[in-house]
Amino acid sequence: MRTMKARKSVMALIAVAGLVLISACSSSSPNASTAGNTKISADTAGTVRVLMEGVPDTDIVKGLLAKFNEKYPKIDVKIEPIAYDQIRDKIVASFQATDPTYDMAIIDNPWMGDFAKAGFLKPLDDLIAGTADYDYNDFSAPLRAIGEVDGKKYGVPFYNYGLGLIYRTDLLASAGITEPKTLDELAAAAKKLNTAARAGIAMQPQRGYKAFEEWGNYLFAAGGSIYGTDGLVKLNTPEAKKALNTYIAMYKSSAPKNSLNWAFDEALRSVSSDKSAMMVSYNWMLPTLNKKDGPAGALAGKFKLATMPGGKQVLGSWDWAIPANSKVSDAAWAFISWITSKEGEAARVSAGGAPARISVLTDPAVSNTGGGAEYYATVGKILGNAEPLCKGANCDEMINAVGTELNAAIAGLKSVDSALAAAEEQANKIQSK
Amino acid sequence: MSFRARMMTPLLVVFVAAIGYPLISSFVLSLTNYRITRRDETKFVAFAQYKDVLQDHAYWSALAVTGTFIVFAVALELSIGLMIALALQNQRRFRDFSRSFLLSPMFVTPIAVGLMFRFLLNQQLGAIPAILEKVGITYDFFGPGRAIYSMVIIDVWQWTPFMVLLLLAGLESLSKQPFEAAKVDGASPFYTFRRVTVPMLAPILTVAVLIRSLDASKVFEYVYAITRGGPGTETQTIQYFTYQTGIQFFRLGKASAMSYLLLIMVISLVILLFKRIEKARLAS
Repeated sequence: MRTMKARKSVMALIAVAGLVLISACSSSSPNASTAGNTKISADTAGTVRVLMEGVPDTDIVKGLLAKFNEKYPKIDVKIEPIAYDQIRDKIVASFQATDPTYDMAIIDNPWMGDFAKAGFLKPLDDLIAGTADYDYNDFSAPLRAIGEVDGKKYGVPFYNYGLGLIYRTDLLASAGITEPKTLDELAAAAKKLNTAARAGIAMQPQRGYKAFEEWGNYLFAAGGSIYGTDGLVKLNTPEAKKALNTYIAMYKSSAPKNSLNWAFDEALRSVSSDKSAMMVSYNWMLPTLNKKDGPAGALAGKFKLATMPGGKQVLGSWDWAIPANSKVSDAAWAFISWITSKEGEAARVSAGGAPARISVLTDPAVSNTGGGAEYYATVGKILGNAEPLCKGANCDEMINAVGTELNAAIAGLKSVDSALAAAEEQANKIQSK
Repeated sequence: MSFRARMMTPLLVVFVAAIGYPLISSFVLSLTNYRITRRDETKFVAFAQYKDVLQDHAYWSALAVTGTFIVFAVALELSIGLMIALALQNQRRFRDFSRSFLLSPMFVTPIAVGLMFRFLLNQQLGAIPAILEKVGITYDFFGPGRAIYSMVIIDVWQWTPFMVLLLLAGLESLSKQPFEAAKVDGASPFYTFRRVTVPMLAPILTVAVLIRSLDASKVFEYVYAITRGGPGTETQTIQYFTYQTGIQFFRLGKASAMSYLLLIMVISLVILLFKRIEKARLAS
């Protein structure tokens, strides 16, 4: 008996010693959450696999990997570019695997609520708070809000999808039109610019996300909002009706013929080939359009970006995140905190990436290489007053339902009143499930 | 175990693994509220998902869209396919070349066909709108009231060759004697077609319509590549709606119930059709 007791005591001592040792090791870990002054060790090691959309921003990140490895030589970041439609299915499968395929993720804003609530993502609060000189509050506030779910931070802004009005300066000047400041002014400008050879504005009323994304800007311009103060979707309002009536009138009078199925690509092609004078599009399209060897050819330099009439616009974003089942979260955070640091952001935006931090917009080194100080000042205004289409759960479904009703109204299959009433009802039903 | 039973074992194993397991698994899913992003809240809900689907206006609307697509696509494919098959049957020169050339569309994967027509009919880049515009015609192929028929035309382009293949094989297998007798009796070609060819070809026509209808009910790729169900819900077919519910919106329980209801409807129709064929055969 005595021997048994003695053996138990020794075992208990070993266990306590082990726990003390483990806790000592973790407190000396490079990523521990202390008062925001922990430097991530340059010896952090691991292979970080990440699935990304095959777009220029991904190529820019790839181009910065060598610079990252100068600081963290033992981390191997493997980027797999893929078409947008396939990203979500592949990462959702990886999130649920015991042995994940991806150790780091980029998350589109409609997915954030669902993924965070499902427990797929690791909360980043401690890592953000514990990293030296990170300055999380330097990210635009609306962008930060997208990555925060139920009071926890699950994503760090990678790049923005804020919308704005892109127009041809020469055409507006020759028509004697100033930058539209109200929805009515925008409609009048589009009508005046509309000619037999060129549409006044290239619109994107395609069913689903695109219709809602573009119309959302009209809603804000009409003084409306997507959510009411009670947190419920409010689309059956006088402002929403004015916005949709104006949108439909503009589509009929000033948009290219037969463009009901148009989305981003078609609108860009139309504007860059001198077939349309304006479009509502992502702010970072301006440097592309004004680039000498860009898609606009001889029209380069004639485009300007403005905030939407009324000053508020729809915002989308991609966020960096760490899957809850990632086995190399230290290495993943080392990369995320480097690429989204002020230094990483400046390098990324200088190379043509879309900004997420406010400080980068006034960095002379950046504004000299990109669209110029005026462009970055407008981007600052866009990022300062913007809102995503959906907050909370089931965003993909909610956006699709609203976008379907809007498209039906634009196509003339439904009245404005019945489409908005149905959109509001469906959106609230979907988000309450 | 008898020799016959042992010989059937490999087939049964493959059948259970490849068809039985997914069928049972999806049936079990349809009795739950399973969602990929809410796995912790999964519970048995019996037939609540089925009730929910049957009360969903969008489900019936998607079924109606699919039904319209099937009726128009299969009717056109049958008519055009039969005409081409009759023409090919009488062809004397370059038979192999023309047959293989005509069959080529059905060897292209449907998603590629969808993308191809998305650009061909595109108002900005497409050759067809450009040609029409040159003769003063502007036509919105994917506009309201038109998109579903544009989908039908795409399906006809791709799958009429399949109809030709079946009907040509059927025509060539028909006995020559009734045709010779009709010729001797002085029957006109149209009379011969109506009174001899069609009745003799009826079983093959039925099977061809059945196969194409079942295949057309799976239409998904053209919708995914071109319209995404729009304008409004005019091209939202049942497969696209089920895909959105299950894969895009993560509601696998509800999507499974949708699929099972569709399966029950399709199987019922097929059984009814076969019973009628059998009845007609016995009557004749």
